[in-house]
Amino acid sequence: MTEHVTAWLAAYHDGELRGLRLRQVETHLAHCETCRTELEALQALTALLQESPVAEVITSPDRFVAQVGLRLPRRPVQPAWQRTLEAGWRLAPVGLLGAWAFGQAVFFVAGVVTGALRMGLGGDAVAGLLPAAQQRLWLAEVFSLSNVGLNDAGRIMLRMLSNGGPLGWGVTLHLVLSVVIGLLYCSWLASWWARRRHRTQISGH
Amino acid sequence: MSSQSAQSAETELELITQAQRGDRRAFGELVRRHREGVVNVVYRMCGETNLAEDAAQEAFIRAWQHLPGYQPRSPFRNWVYRIATNVALDALRRERETVDVDTLSLAASDEGPETTLEGKERGERVRQAVLALPPASRAVLVLREYEGLSYREIADTLDIPIGTVMSRLNYARNRLRESLAPCLEVL
Repeated sequence: MTEHVTAWLAAYHDGELRGLRLRQVETHLAHCETCRTELEALQALTALLQESPVAEVITSPDRFVAQVGLRLPRRPVQPAWQRTLEAGWRLAPVGLLGAWAFGQAVFFVAGVVTGALRMGLGGDAVAGLLPAAQQRLWLAEVFSLSNVGLNDAGRIMLRMLSNGGPLGWGVTLHLVLSVVIGLLYCSWLASWWARRRHRTQISGH
Repeated sequence: MSSQSAQSAETELELITQAQRGDRRAFGELVRRHREGVVNVVYRMCGETNLAEDAAQEAFIRAWQHLPGYQPRSPFRNWVYRIATNVALDALRRERETVDVDTLSLAASDEGPETTLEGKERGERVRQAVLALPPASRAVLVLREYEGLSYREIADTLDIPIGTVMSRLNYARNRLRESLAPCLEVL
């Protein structure tokens, strides 16, 4: 005979078992007198519990509903701006996702255009449109206007800055945007969790 | 079509949506539909009809206050039962003298199996044995045995893991099998 299924009898009695476990318990019960007796005891207890009287409600349904109605406090009507704010808060993840997708698209297009320009597809006339060249020119203009003389170290720094740091402008901006969107999303999740917890506590637990 | 039949035709979800917007009539219809269940849950928890009616009304008032935050992912019935269970537990904390657990245990064990128990008397014995259970186990037992909720629904209603539901239910049943042994032998 297989091992007793005492641990599963309550779940079997409550109709909570499915599949293999259910078949296992049924097969065992067909052969095991001990487990059958245990199951019968559970069934007897359930039958006995039903003998406990139900509540003798004195108040009629209409009167009960009316009494509840009289005791209902006035629920403050949410102003329109709060409803708008609430809707905005609920749509925030979609907005963040949209912003991230937009950023990705912009970086992709910029990458394709830059690649094409670097390959010389646009000719010399458009070479100045390359982002690094533009930044270098712009920073050099700034330094010349402010009459700042640059030594070698300054020129290296200028080159670093004009290239957007060691990773380049494109990658740096990409990283910053992803981190900012990620942080905003985490903040939204945290506030969602806090609100849910608050509501759960209010309704009892 | 009369207004009453029109009301009954409204789905629960429609009523909830309307009540969430502040419609008291829709909420009244929800109260009417769930009154019996909620009163019984509270009664099984408290053991006093008057207290149960008061606590049930209190549960519905609490439900009204927090209805805007209710999301119909879980059935409305379970949500109201959850509130009702907590209101009942609060009421029990306030009125501890309602049930003297020690007296009940002694009363249950003093009687021998030879005692003839009439149906009403046996029902009363059962009611008292259930009331003598710890509130946490009693809540699980009431929702399972009297309201027929599944383990998952009980877990959601009381916000506890399914394993805890099973262990509390087992504990409650074992306690009841001991305290109601004379009644079970008669069956």
